[in-house]
Amino acid sequence: MVDSHVRGVQVKENIKFTPSLSEQRHKFVLDFVRKHKPQKVADLGCANCKLLWRLKYHESIEVLAGLDIDENILTRNIYRLHTGAGDYLDPRERPLTITLYHGSVVEKDPCLLGFDLITCIELIEHLEAKELSQFPEVIFGFFSPTTVIISTPNSEFNPLFSGKTLFRHPDHKFEWDRTQFQSWALDAARHYGYSVEFTGLGEPPPGAEAVGFCTQIGVFVKTIPNTVKSLHDEKTIECAHTTVGTVIYPSLKEEKYLRKAVSNEVFSQILKMKRVLLESLKMKNDNDNSDELEFVKPKCDESKNDPTEEIPKPFCIENVFYVPLERLFSFPKIKHLCGDLETLKMLIANEVMLSSDGSSVMINTVDEEDCDLSDNDGDDLRFV
Amino acid sequence: MTGRARVRARGLCRNLESRNLGQSQASSWNHPVVCDSEASASTSLLDTDRIPQRFKGSGSAGDGAGNTLIQRGGKTWNSFLELGIHTREKLAHVRDCKTGSSGAPVKLVTNLFNLGLPREWHLFQYHVVFTPDLASKRLRIALLYSHSKFLKKAKVFDGTMLFLSEKLEEKVTELSGETQKGIYVTITITLISELPSSSPTCIQFFNIIFKKILRKLSMYQIGRNFYSPSDPVEIPQHKLSLWPGFAISVSQFENKLMFTANVTHKVLRNETVLEFMADLYNRKDKSHFIETCEKELLGCIVLTRYNNRTYRIDDIDWSVKPTDAFQKRDGTKITYFDYYKQQYDISLSDLTQPMLVSQLKSKGTDSGEVRIAHLVPELCFLTGLSKRVTSDFRVMKDLATETHLNPICRQQRLSRLADNIQRNTEARFELETWGLQFGCQVSLTGRVVPSEKILMQDSICQPMSAADWSRDMRHCKLLGAQRLNNWLIVCGHRNEDAAESLLSCLRRVSEPMGFLVGQPKIIKAQENTAAFIRAIQQHVNPDVQLVLCVLPSNQKDCYDSIKRFLSLDHPVPSQCVLAQTLSRQGTMMSIATKIAMQVVCKLGGELWAVEIPLKSLMVVGIDVGRDACARGHSIVGFVASSNSRITRWFSRCILQSTKSDIADCLKVCMKGALNKWYRYNHCFPTRIIVYRDGVGDGQLQTIVDYEVPQLLSSLRDSNSSYSPKVSVIVVRKSCVPRFFTEMNRTLQNPPLGTVIDSEATRPEWYDFYLISQAAYQGTVTPTYYNVIYDDNGLKPDHMQRLTYKLCHLYYNWPGLIKIPAPCQYAHKLTFLVGRSIHREPSIELADYLFYL
Repeated sequence: MVDSHVRGVQVKENIKFTPSLSEQRHKFVLDFVRKHKPQKVADLGCANCKLLWRLKYHESIEVLAGLDIDENILTRNIYRLHTGAGDYLDPRERPLTITLYHGSVVEKDPCLLGFDLITCIELIEHLEAKELSQFPEVIFGFFSPTTVIISTPNSEFNPLFSGKTLFRHPDHKFEWDRTQFQSWALDAARHYGYSVEFTGLGEPPPGAEAVGFCTQIGVFVKTIPNTVKSLHDEKTIECAHTTVGTVIYPSLKEEKYLRKAVSNEVFSQILKMKRVLLESLKMKNDNDNSDELEFVKPKCDESKNDPTEEIPKPFCIENVFYVPLERLFSFPKIKHLCGDLETLKMLIANEVMLSSDGSSVMINTVDEEDCDLSDNDGDDLRFV
Repeated sequence: MTGRARVRARGLCRNLESRNLGQSQASSWNHPVVCDSEASASTSLLDTDRIPQRFKGSGSAGDGAGNTLIQRGGKTWNSFLELGIHTREKLAHVRDCKTGSSGAPVKLVTNLFNLGLPREWHLFQYHVVFTPDLASKRLRIALLYSHSKFLKKAKVFDGTMLFLSEKLEEKVTELSGETQKGIYVTITITLISELPSSSPTCIQFFNIIFKKILRKLSMYQIGRNFYSPSDPVEIPQHKLSLWPGFAISVSQFENKLMFTANVTHKVLRNETVLEFMADLYNRKDKSHFIETCEKELLGCIVLTRYNNRTYRIDDIDWSVKPTDAFQKRDGTKITYFDYYKQQYDISLSDLTQPMLVSQLKSKGTDSGEVRIAHLVPELCFLTGLSKRVTSDFRVMKDLATETHLNPICRQQRLSRLADNIQRNTEARFELETWGLQFGCQVSLTGRVVPSEKILMQDSICQPMSAADWSRDMRHCKLLGAQRLNNWLIVCGHRNEDAAESLLSCLRRVSEPMGFLVGQPKIIKAQENTAAFIRAIQQHVNPDVQLVLCVLPSNQKDCYDSIKRFLSLDHPVPSQCVLAQTLSRQGTMMSIATKIAMQVVCKLGGELWAVEIPLKSLMVVGIDVGRDACARGHSIVGFVASSNSRITRWFSRCILQSTKSDIADCLKVCMKGALNKWYRYNHCFPTRIIVYRDGVGDGQLQTIVDYEVPQLLSSLRDSNSSYSPKVSVIVVRKSCVPRFFTEMNRTLQNPPLGTVIDSEATRPEWYDFYLISQAAYQGTVTPTYYNVIYDDNGLKPDHMQRLTYKLCHLYYNWPGLIKIPAPCQYAHKLTFLVGRSIHREPSIELADYLFYL
């Protein structure tokens, strides 16, 4: 909605906040998310998508939506929300879908129904009088999320800025003092069954405490839960917003990523155990003294503190190293990923060789024959 | 990583003022990519070597004004740099037609796709000025894009240049707009040019459009290529993931604009730096942990999990840990732990890990201030392949199985891509707005040139397969082999038996070849480098023809020392064999055969020949390599034939700093080659054909403008009345097109000797593709030849066939190779010098193929 430079406060020379006020607002939302762990979060007036970008790192969130009236700013900033290599190498535990919509915040669109949190950060002051009057009905009445965070400038703070402009930003249609905001908020809350608490960010300088925070914030919490029925009815309403883009993150809920995560972990543990074994064998061969046992033992259990006595140990028959699945399952990460032994077996079945009774993973301890000479081009260096 | 030793090797704390973990888009990826094809795989995988050296004195930020600012491999697209170089127009004999005619026609499918454009299509380029000037590029773009005039119109704007597919009514258009801050801005848009589709700018532009399209297909750009991370191939036993993808480009080919797509794979490692360190710690001798760790990690490119950026590890700071605080840009202090928790909701699990230090790229016109970033090992993924991995034969084998796709698989992936482009609505929209039409896959006709006969001393053999005629020549006498009378075998104490059995095998196989092997002096030495060198020093004298060493182990320094000593201090051809190689059962005879043939070459003998219709023709191969140790030096290998039969060679190798031009040393080499020719033939060659390999991206212009004239003038200098006919051909082992042939209802690699000189070639060049090597696995990469200078006036047919003939003459392999033999010899020479010798080998060896 607003350019990134301007979205932050127009602090004139004399007052500066550290960290910046926009950063503080984002942090406020993030702390809220960390505390309440919402699953579905929408940011209205998401503009450059920076808040969405910060939100996407939160594991609790599975659906993230952004809405803005300026399609251009969305298409230019959607890249911030794209998946990256890291998201594929180390997928999230839970799914995440991010969607950006182009449209007005006063249109009733079913895509924003059923959210746990909707944020409107420095949004309402950009609304024309007519839009502002429709706004509570749409957001509280229609979208009706569990919680809403609304922030807006506190006009009482303005005299502390040296600038001469009426508002902090040319696109602002109004700036409210605390009484105006709070009465508007309390009205809306009362009407749509929400409770509201007020707070703010940007402490006034000493001596001017009376003006209150630079940014005022209202946190709305729904007091009457939605009935499934009412949600369902509203979903039949036609979509008003156009989708600018959807980003779907890979997650361990998808089997192919889970399979990958499990087999990587399994291989890394097996190879670690195999190395310990080979080292201990080598020690035995090299010098036949007694501290060899001492050397092996602590290393075998290095990562575990639980008693490993009951869990079957890896063993070696001739050149084949057997690692019981139960043993693998005792590693917390593998246990966490698979949940049960059968799942583990199912997930790795294609990647490893299992013993005939299916209870252990088999791996060769002797490395295959080295480079085959017959197919080289006879270079001198190959002979070396 | 319990109880890991906390090592504080370097006490000083580093200043973190310049830390910058911004959130802009992942941009620069410069790590190795595995190409899928046979030949390019090996070079690409070794790309890690090219990562610039570790920067010294990482110290505090901002202390090193201008000290070692690393130019990160800013590879530019070679096809762009080479646009606008027109060499064909100067070659009268091919101006009208550059295609040959001999050989059997063969139908070929390519990886090229037609791109259709309306007749009279033009791209309109405008220059845009904002008054007052807006510093922010983003703001300029936003302002222009939001202007009603441009809504729903095909446009590309970079902040200054605007491209439109439709012409604006006026040559100069004035628009106005208002920024969010309420500043009134005038936008003046001036038409600069109307570009036809074949113009270089247009080509570049089309490439941008296609990048956009591939992004729309949810492919992920890394470097210049696009990958699908959602269909990875996992190799868990090596902790590797492969992402399938494409290298794409749009270029103007012979008579059409075409889109090319090549299958590539990106190698990623499923391993964080922390896991790698823990692994190393458990594996290696703990006292050397820091040393090995730095050796393995410095220079590696890591990918951060949270922001998709890549960094090079320049240093490891063992004194900083996640619980230490750093200063953020806004001046506040925060610990790394809290920072990642706050910013990315990540909880670090290991609070004792050290920090990786990366020097950040300075942005544009920076003051030269060195900015560094500290990275947490736990959050960094390793990328690319380490040196240790590339030398692991098993990993490479497993990788090859996944990456070397045969023509059928390749074709499947290509059609899937073409399908996606045509079906995806967004992609189609993008194409349509610009008037582009994505057409069908191009088929063309190539020719298979006649196969060659191999000439031996008293017989002519027509090999069953040109890929390998070792069987065909089993009972034939070599063309010419010197008698080996005076020679040494040096071996370790334990390998005396191996040496003896090698000797008896050598004698057995060499006799039918017509190569007489006398009794050597066998010297036993202690199994260490110094003892070997001492033994050689003691026994070598000017009459010794060859030193054969049976090496006890695969130690590089032993090999290097021997080669150094015997090519610098005491120039004698040498042959090294690993004892282990000789211990293998059942392979002794074939090994002995190979060694015998190498030895013949090293003594100056000739193995076989092909018919060369031109008399008095000298062929020259030039390759440029790098010194593995002394960076900043390039090694120029120059190999020229010294007889009409093209069986004897004169080889020179010159080391020079990369700054000076390669052409400078060519004069010396050329002069030597001509003298040698004169000595053997009592005249100068009337024709000279130079094959120039090792041409880097974007170097073509330099070669045309500088190297060729230098080469010509060096010929003139040698004798004023002497003016041979000269051709210069640039050889490229990697190129964009791939060709498949349909045979027995499946796709296969084209037959050996396939020449393509139409459609997939470029109109401004005298160029052709030749397939001269067999690919046993995967798809063959054609070799691309570009004749940039030619006053020999040979018909294209003859030029192509001569090139093909030269691919038969590499004596280290009884079969065809992918480049002309002189280039391969030059490559081999630079490789030996760059890897082992590091100095110019003695001129006394110039007549022998001592480097085989």
